[in-house]
Formats: sequence, structure tokens, C-alpha cells
Amino acid sequence: MQKNKRVTRRQFLKGSIGAVAAFTIVPRHVLGGPGHMPPSETFGGALIGCGGRGNGTFNGLGPNVEKRAICDVKFVGKTDNKMVYTDFRRVMERKDIDVVAIATPPHWHALISIAAMEAGKDILCEKPMTRFIAEGRAVAEAEKRYNRIFQVGTYGRFSANRERRKIMTSGLLKECKAVYIKHGGFKVREWSGMVNVKPQPIPRSLDWDMYCGPSPLRFYHPHRTGGTHRGYWDYEGGGMTDMGQHFFDRFQYEYAKDDTSPVEIEAYAPPAHPEACGMWGWVELKYADGLTLVFDSEEWGERYNRKEDRSVSISDLNEQSQRKLREMPDPEPLVGFPEAIRTRKQASGHAAVSHRCVTLMHLANIAIRTGRKIHYDPVKEQIIGDEEANRLVNQPMRAPWHL
Amino acid sequence: MKPSSKLTSLVNQMPDPDGRGMYCTDIDKDKIDKAIAQIHKGGRNNIIAIIDMLVPPGKGDDVKAHYTLHCLALHVCKLKDDNQRRRFARTVASQLGGDRPKAVQKYLVRILQVAGGKEVVGALGELLVDEELCEPAAQALVAIGNGAARQLRSALPNARGRCRLTVIQNLGVVRPPAFLRKQEGGVDALKKAVTDEDQDIRIAAAWALANIGDPGSANVLLRAADAEGWERIQATKACLLLAENLLAAGKNYEAVKIYTHLRDTRTEPAERYVRDAAKKALTAAGGK
Repeated sequence: MQKNKRVTRRQFLKGSIGAVAAFTIVPRHVLGGPGHMPPSETFGGALIGCGGRGNGTFNGLGPNVEKRAICDVKFVGKTDNKMVYTDFRRVMERKDIDVVAIATPPHWHALISIAAMEAGKDILCEKPMTRFIAEGRAVAEAEKRYNRIFQVGTYGRFSANRERRKIMTSGLLKECKAVYIKHGGFKVREWSGMVNVKPQPIPRSLDWDMYCGPSPLRFYHPHRTGGTHRGYWDYEGGGMTDMGQHFFDRFQYEYAKDDTSPVEIEAYAPPAHPEACGMWGWVELKYADGLTLVFDSEEWGERYNRKEDRSVSISDLNEQSQRKLREMPDPEPLVGFPEAIRTRKQASGHAAVSHRCVTLMHLANIAIRTGRKIHYDPVKEQIIGDEEANRLVNQPMRAPWHL
Repeated sequence: MKPSSKLTSLVNQMPDPDGRGMYCTDIDKDKIDKAIAQIHKGGRNNIIAIIDMLVPPGKGDDVKAHYTLHCLALHVCKLKDDNQRRRFARTVASQLGGDRPKAVQKYLVRILQVAGGKEVVGALGELLVDEELCEPAAQALVAIGNGAARQLRSALPNARGRCRLTVIQNLGVVRPPAFLRKQEGGVDALKKAVTDEDQDIRIAAAWALANIGDPGSANVLLRAADAEGWERIQATKACLLLAENLLAAGKNYEAVKIYTHLRDTRTEPAERYVRDAAKKALTAAGGK
């Protein structure tokens, strides 16, 4: 084996190295593994969305990724279609791109993630994973269909309380009375939208139609771009979705809610604006097993005072159950993105679990936007008994974009 | 319609944008809720008077009227009284298609996406051939769902350019029931569109056929998947999606045919993931 010969991931997977991996005589540093990255294993990488989080997200791909393409709708007049693009579809066509970092505004996250998987690429996608619930299910289905690696760019679960996870997955806890309240930190005021924007000329360097993409084609205003896009339902969902996936990835893992969602959601908020995200007080989300999750913004109205924080710990189990718990295996080690693309193990923040996490924020926003208490079927992923609220679960897209 | 002084006073109770142009300061929920309930009691005349206050973006200040109409849409849904909701939606829909600026009509369509139902699909369907309004009208129709397929299907022969693309794509979203698919020009029109000169139309039609799950489309989609670049990626997706829908409908023979074709033709290393996906699905479907 030539030490310095560059081997693409696809060659690796095709078997040239993968086949010999079955023989234990190959040294571990050649095969790779935690802390052992062979220098020959280089992945072709692309960054799509080159704003504030762009380089940070790209660096999350791992050390052996060579940047071969960058793509952003603000590169009009600067493209060479070799390294610099405005249209992500051209990047997807490239066979030498193995991994894609997505740091666009969130209304593009799902579509570009799915397109990348359809093109055989692995994805590290900035949070929040999606703009509405059905997008997340579609990403998870594509992940499964094409057997690709997907990781959302937040790592809450990597610093989680593993004992709580073990208790919650053990089946030993008969009734969950836990109440998890997140006080503040949602940046509600900071990531609100303007309600009195007026049309502005579109900058020459910006492909505005492509920026809007699947969302409605509105008139241009700079506040709809460049970070402040977070304040508009068309592109994100305010501080709720922007911060929520950070906070609740850990919660979801610890409380073993990766396969389900709350069944009852109630919000305390003024009537929402049709385009601009605005203020809200708190949202209470109840799971079928009794667990309650509360988002208390501390930025508007009266504070949440229905229940008090109560976490699950070992003392919730009787002595016999505690003994049984100790005999059970600890939770599986978590897998980060660089390890996942090298070993083809599923990343721990994969699409199916990240979808369940961001669904929390989408449900909260639906309750805020409709002003109604909503009931949710976590299996069908539909709102029950409220046809109009259910329209926000799967929002129509502007052609030619579709899931 | 000139608003009454009472209505003007109620609309003025909506919040003023703060120094950043946002609804973040002095937002009084109870005051808003009470004012909206009173405006709603004024019925059709109040709704039309508020619509009269709307102006195209940049042509004046309609911030409060804009917010008021949306709050009314939320209010009628909250009442859980379908008659009230229908009455509101019909009133809004009655203001479409006339001389009002297109930007205002676009907003009315979005209001119907929030609170409209079957009672307004006809009015929305008429907008599907309007270059400026077809997109929001199609989105409102598919959000409403009930009755949307017939409107989209009827619009297809007359839709041109951007409208045609929108209609084709949304036929795939609503997955029209069998009786509509069989009508002349239904599925056949979509199959024909798979070879259109416009790439966006070709991709949208292939996806629509796949989503509808039409068993007679397998060969058309497999041929489309012989394309190169982005279109090959998208047509291949359509093939896999069609096969999944056929399997779900118990049509294993047609699904196996698609998977077998993809397994046997995706021989380049760069497309190994498609071959693997087809092989995995074939095993699950009981194929060889």
C-alpha cells in the first residue's frame, strides 16, 4: 500500500481498503478509528452557505476534509463553477465531493440535505435542522433510503447525563413525573422580525429568487437576510428554533424521547404576526408518559408558574431497581461526524433523532402562531382535531422546490 | 368602503411597531384579543373595510390593518365554529380576482391559507392561471387539501410558464384521487411533461408521477433517469419514490422492475449508493 496515495471515500468504501479491514494484521492507524486518521483518507468537501456559521460548520466535518467548493446565493458575478457557485445543484453534480457542510438559512436546510443524500453525499447541517415538521421526516427518510451519514450541527447530547439516559431507557421507572423547565436564553426579542419593512433594491451580488427558494417570493429587505432572517417565519422561526435545538438535543437524549414527541402543547403568547416572529411568554409541552417540558422565555408577560422543576434521578428507583440498573449495560458511546464518515456508523445526531428534537420547537411555534392548545399524534406526526393548525406541519413550497 | 370611526378606533388598538420596527414592546394580548373579537362582531362590512385599508408594500402604512386581518383569521379558527370561519373565508375570497392590487390579493390568498376551507377552493382555482397569483393560490389550495386536486387538474390545460410548473408540482403534492387521474389529460399530461423542453417541468412532472404512485409511469421515469447531472439525480429519486409507493400499494411486480433496473444500471462507483439502495429494497421486496 502506498502511504501517500490519495484514496477517495468512495474508493475506500468500494473495498480497496475496506476489504482488507477484515484482516486483523492491518495496523489500526491505517484503518482509522478514534484518534487514528490515516493521512491517505481525504474527503472532498463543499460548504453551502458561506455566512456567519459557514466556516465553523465546515470545520466540524473533521480534519481530513479538503474544501473543493463553496456555494452561496450572494456570489453572483464571482462564480467560476469550479470552486465558487451560487447554485447548490451544480455542487451536487460533482463526483469528487463526498461531504457537504450546510450553513444556509434554515429554510434551505432540509432541501439541500435531501439533495446531497440523493447525490450520495454525507451531511453536516447547521441547526435548526428544518423549518417545519414534515421536512424533518423527509430528511430522515432520505437518510434511510440512501444510507447516508447526517449530523445536525449541535452536540447537546454529547455532554448529556448518561445515568439519566440509562434510567429512562431501562424500563424500570414506572411513572415519569419529571418537569424540565428551560428558563430564558431563547433570544426572543433579539430574533424578532420587523413588521413595517419596505421594499429595497436587490443587491447585484445576490440571487434573491434563489435565496427565497422554497419560501414565498417576497420583496427584498436586508433584514430578511444576514442573520436577522431568523426573525421571519419564511426562513426560520425566531429565537425559539434558533436556540432550541441547542438546548433540547441534550434533554431529548437524556429523557429517551428520540422516537417520540409531545402530545399536548399550550402556549402563552399574544397573537402572532403573519410574517414576523415576535414575543411569547411560555410554552408547555406534555408527553404521553407524563413528562412535562416547559420553555419559559422570561421576555414577555407573566412567568410560567404551573409546575416546578423536577428531574429524574437514581433516587426515583427503589433499591431492587437500582441494583438491576447497575447490572445493565451503560448507554452506547456516541459517534461524532468525523468518526461516522470514516467508519460508516450512524452519527449520534442523525436525521431521525434531530428531527424529533427540532419538532419540539416547531410544535411550540405552531401553538404560538395559532393561539390554540394543540394535540399531536407523535406516530402519524399530525395535529389532531385542528385542520388549520395542521397546515403548519407540512407547509407548501414554491415550485420547483419540493421535498 | 370607508371604515366607521368605531372600526378605526379598534384597528388603532393594535400595537405600534417599536423603535426597531418590531412587535416587541408594549404588546398587550388582552387588549388585542378584545379588539379583534369586537371587529369580528361587525361582520362582513368590517372585514371588507379592513381589506380596503391594505396597500401594496411600500405604497403606504397598513401595518395595523395587515395585522388585524391576520388576527381575525386566527380568531375565527379559534372559535371552533365552522360557520363563522366559512363566513369570514367567503368574505375574503369575494375580494379576489377584481381590481385590487395583486400584492393585496396575494395577502388575501395567504389569509385563506390560514383560515380558508373547501368553500374557497373555487375562487383560489381561478387564480392558478394568473402569473402573479398562481403560486400563493396553489399553496393555499394544497394547504386546504379538500377539493384542491380538481382545481389543479382543471387548470393544467390552460396554465403556461411559471403557472404550469406550479400546477404540475402541486398535482404531485395533492396526489389526486384515481377518478381524477384517469380523466383525459391527467396522468397522460404529466407523462408528456416528463419530456418537456424545460428541465424544471421535466423534474416536477417525474416527481408528481412518483408521488401519485402511478404504476404505468415506471418506464417513463426509468427513461428519464438516463439523463445526466442534476436531472439524473432527481429522476432517480423519482424512480425510487415510485417504487416505494408501488410497494406500499401492493404492486410488487412493478416495484421490483424499477429496483432491478437501478441495480443493474448504476454500475459506476459514484452511483454505488443508488445500486446499494436498490439492492436493499429488492431484498425487502422479495426480489432477487
